[in-house]
Formats: sequence, structure tokens, C-alpha cells
Amino acid sequence: MMRGVLNYGFPLILAGLVVLFGVLSPSFLGLANAMGILHAMVPIVVVATGMALVVMLGKLDISVGAIGFAGMSMAAMLIDGAGWSPLAASAAALGVGAALGALNGFVVVVLRVNPLIATLGTMIAFRGLALQITDSRVMVLPDAMRNFGNWTIGPVFFDVLLAGAILLAVHLVHRETPFGRTITAIGNDEAAARRIGLPVGRTVFACFVISGVLGALGGVLGAAQVGAVTTFLGKGMEFTAVAVVVVGGISLFGGRGSVFWGVLLGALTFEIIRAGLNHVGANPYFYQLIGGGIIFVAMYAAALKARETRLQD
Amino acid sequence: MNYSITALAAAAVLAAQGALANDITVGLSWNSKTQPLEAAWEDYMKAEAERQGAAAGVTITWVINVADADPSRQASNIEDLITQGVNVIVARAEDAGAIGASIRAANAAGIPFVTFDRASGTVAPTAHVGGDSYDQALTTATAFADLMKEQGIEGKCIELQGALTDVNAINRSKGWTEVDAARPEISTLVQVPTEWNPELFRSGMANALRAHPEANCAFIASDFAITAVQSALEEVDRWAPAGDARHFWLATQDLLPGAVPLMEGGYIDVSTTYDAFKHSEELVRVVIALSKGEDPMCGPDGCLAKGRVVTPATIATIENLWSKTYK
Repeated sequence: MMRGVLNYGFPLILAGLVVLFGVLSPSFLGLANAMGILHAMVPIVVVATGMALVVMLGKLDISVGAIGFAGMSMAAMLIDGAGWSPLAASAAALGVGAALGALNGFVVVVLRVNPLIATLGTMIAFRGLALQITDSRVMVLPDAMRNFGNWTIGPVFFDVLLAGAILLAVHLVHRETPFGRTITAIGNDEAAARRIGLPVGRTVFACFVISGVLGALGGVLGAAQVGAVTTFLGKGMEFTAVAVVVVGGISLFGGRGSVFWGVLLGALTFEIIRAGLNHVGANPYFYQLIGGGIIFVAMYAAALKARETRLQD
Repeated sequence: MNYSITALAAAAVLAAQGALANDITVGLSWNSKTQPLEAAWEDYMKAEAERQGAAAGVTITWVINVADADPSRQASNIEDLITQGVNVIVARAEDAGAIGASIRAANAAGIPFVTFDRASGTVAPTAHVGGDSYDQALTTATAFADLMKEQGIEGKCIELQGALTDVNAINRSKGWTEVDAARPEISTLVQVPTEWNPELFRSGMANALRAHPEANCAFIASDFAITAVQSALEEVDRWAPAGDARHFWLATQDLLPGAVPLMEGGYIDVSTTYDAFKHSEELVRVVIALSKGEDPMCGPDGCLAKGRVVTPATIATIENLWSKTYK
């Protein structure tokens, strides 16, 4: 039983939370709430999926929130100023994401700047670019875009299906393709990967581009849900994405973890806590304390499991 | 910060320097000037300077610079104003800490310094002029309770709070809570912190609606994120104008440009403005008082301009509503 608790401690805590919130607020256990939680998770799931690939490399990209803001700012300007359709403008946002991700990749791979330092600089620059584009204004998006952001197919939000498909696709790429295996090899030992002739530079560059595209897509989906681009778009999202990835069990040192389960469990943890506290009407001043405490317990359970695994090895 | 003693002293200095002249030069330092709100403030200041100046027998000339969101540049710009010998400096600070050095420099030169909209976090200026966020919530909540009484509705409200580190958000929650406690027409079912994040406005409102399907109203700490609230209400088919059975009663703060058409359409029921006109009117009053050697009679938190309550019935006729005019 102890082994079961250690192996599944984290998911058990998550399940326990669901039961607790359900007891305190019965509406928490309804289908509508489950769908609402998944819907709210969509932007961070998409962004964290890209982040997961970069973290698997043993690197970090903390510019993803700013990329989301920059991409969506460009899209909003194209819609408002140039009369572009929301679909075309959103595609342009993804192009911006790819370009900014490529810039990150260039700085990291070609200029050999530490990824944390590089993306810290680009985070500031990209956010500044976005503020210049929007003049720090709130830009209300067309109803069509807000309707898309909240479009349902039966009880399920379309963006939940989209985010799920992206997460699964990236997971399969990581697990089943040579590209994905190269990512794992680099994360485990970059020097060794180079020695055996793996395309380290190209792979790292590609992961930063993917991270940029998914950062931009997260920005598009987030803005579509709320119907506007504000200066808060993407703010802090990079740190939440890192936290999601870490809480979900993907190693910051690289090479270990599951993209699908890691991102899903991590994102669910944060959103279940927030939604649960909303439901039970917790004192707003206690949100961060309670949330931090729950995450600590979950991480402790994961650490116990990791220690047990190392002892067995 | 206690502004009244500092204001009296500065006014005395001005008087001693013979600054009871009819012409005064005001140095206006903007931290940035990219938003419609900033353009509105400046236009209202100039218009009020002519109107109030004429009544007071004072002619106001403006020297204006813009710092492009750079605290160092703002400090340099203010140094230029001091060198030019303006009679009063007005500054909207880019950085609440860094502005202190400029205030000290102005004090050393004997020039009164008025902070506008954003208070100094370090050195006390001669006077501070800004919005009264506590009164904003008080007036909205009172008008909203009156509306609920008139409609014969028991308001069961969701409160969407701003960032709890922001004094405006704290003041607005305080104002709402006080009226909630005093008026039986409204009660708060749940408080939802949003950290000023539109995504949390949406998801928090959606969660609160699921937990409290009996809710029929909301107090929103700022309507900059009103479209996010709209998304949440559309999800439960409660986004409808007044008069429709599905209408969800909304009380908001600020009445920003995005909220104006929604109030005109009857979706928002009550709001108190973040009132660029009233801020500018009060600023010019303070500047003229200082130029005449008078105490501007600011309270302990400064000369805070109250917003105006607006409803769908009055939005068409209210004058100087910047969010309608400036886009």
C-alpha cells in the first residue's frame, strides 16, 4: 500500500483535492465545471507543451508569455488597422511566434548564449515590442473571435479539443520519432549527443521555434477566450508554464518525463486549486498560501517517489 | 503623506518670490503619452486652465515634455523645467520611487511640485492630485443598491476584485463591502480575486456562476476586462440587456472606452467614471491656489477627484466623458 501511495502520491493528492472541493461545494463535481476547468487550462496547456520540449532539452524559454502577447498584439493591429479577418490575423500571430522563437534559437545555438539569460532578454524585448504595437491600449476583438474562443461542440469547448490534440501530437513526436529521441538524448547528456553525431544544434533550434509557435498560439487562444488584448496577456505565463512542467514531473535538468502526462497533470493541479477555491469562496488573501501549500505537498509526494526509485536502483 | 503643511510652505515661497503675478508657467511632465486617457487629460487641463484662469484673473502657459516611459528621461525633463524657471511643476510619475529625486530638486529650487494620478512613494510633493478610488466604489455601490430597491430585486452578487497589491483595488473592495454591509438590497455571495488578469476575470466569473447559480449581479473592480465577463455570462446565457429576463445586473468601475457601448446597450447598469475631466479640473484648481499663495486644502491622501456615477439613462447626456470622446 505504501508503494502504491509513493508511486501514485501526486495523482492521489489531486484526486483528494477534487473530492474535498466536491464535498465543500457540490457544483464542483458537475460536468459543466469539469469542462470549465479544461477550458480555462487551454492557454497554459498549449504554452506549457512547447515549454516541455525545451525543458526536455535541459534548457528554458522564459519568453513564451511575451511571445504570446507580441503575436496577438500584431494580430489585433492587423484586424483593427488593416481589416484582416481574425483567422488570417491569428495565422500571422503564429508566424510572429515562429520568427521570435527562431530568434531565440539563433541566440542560443549560434551565439551560444545561456538560454535563461537569452530568453530573459528577449522576454523584455518582446513585451516592449508588443506594448509599442498596441500603445498599451486595451484592444477589443471582434465578436467572431470571442465566439470562437468559447465555441462548444456539445458540452466540450472546441479549444479543449484543439489543445488536447496539440498536446498528444507533441507527446507522440517526442516518444515515437527520431527527433523526439534526439531531444531526450540531448537532455540526458548534450556533449555525448554531439559526440555520437546527433544534430544537436538543429534540434535545439527547432524546439525554440516550436516553443515560439505554441507560445503565440497560447496567446491567441487566451485572447479569444476573453475577447480582448490587454497588457496583461501572457504576463507571468512563462513562469506558470515552467511550474506546470515541473509539477507535472518533467525534470528541469532534461531527459526525463512525459510531455502528455506532465503537462496535463501540472496544468490540472493549478486549475483545480484555483477553481476549487473560487467555488468554496475562500478568502482571496489566502489563495496564494493555500495554493502554495497544496503544491508543496504534491511536490513532496513526488520527491518521496523519486527517492524511493533511486534507492531501488 | 500629509500634503497640507507642505502645500502651505510652498505657497508661502511662491508668494515671497512675487509669484502672485497674473501669468504663471506650468511645467507638465508626462511619463508617457500614448493613450487616449493621457490626451484627454491634457486637453481638459488646457481647457480648464482657460476657464478657471479667466475667473481667477490668471493666465496659465504650459511647457510640456514626455519621457517615453523612461524614469531617467523624466528626471532629466523635470530638470529642464526647473532650469527654465517654471512656476509650478506637474508630473505623472513613471516610477513612484524615482520621482522623489525630482521633487527634492524642485523643492531646492523653490518650485512647488504636484504629482498627478500617480503618487510619490518616497518624498512628499507639495500636493497630489488623483482619483478617489474608494469614493468610486462607494458611489457605484450606493447607486446600485438604489437600483435594486427600485426594481424590487434582492441582489445576490459576485465581487470580482482587482490585484490585492493595488491600492485602487483594495479601496474599491472596501467601498463595495461597506455598502454591502449597510444595504439589505445587495449581498455578496463570493469574492473572486483576479490579479487584474482578464483570464481570471473570465474563469473566476464562470466558476462563481457555477457555484452560485442563484447569483444575479456582479461588482467588477474595473471594466477594462468587461469582455471577459461577457464571455463568462454568454456561457450561461445570461448576457442580455436590461429588460430581458436573462439580464445579469452589472456594477462596474471606470467606464473605460470598451464599456461605453455596453452601457449604451443596457448591459452595464451602473458605473462610476475614472474621470479624466474631474482630475484635470481639480489639478488646475490646485495649481491656481498654489500660484496665489493659498492652501489647496488637500486631504491626507491628496486632492482626490471624485468620479461621476453614470447609468444607461445618463450616458448620452453626460458632459466631458473622455471614454466616449477619445478613442
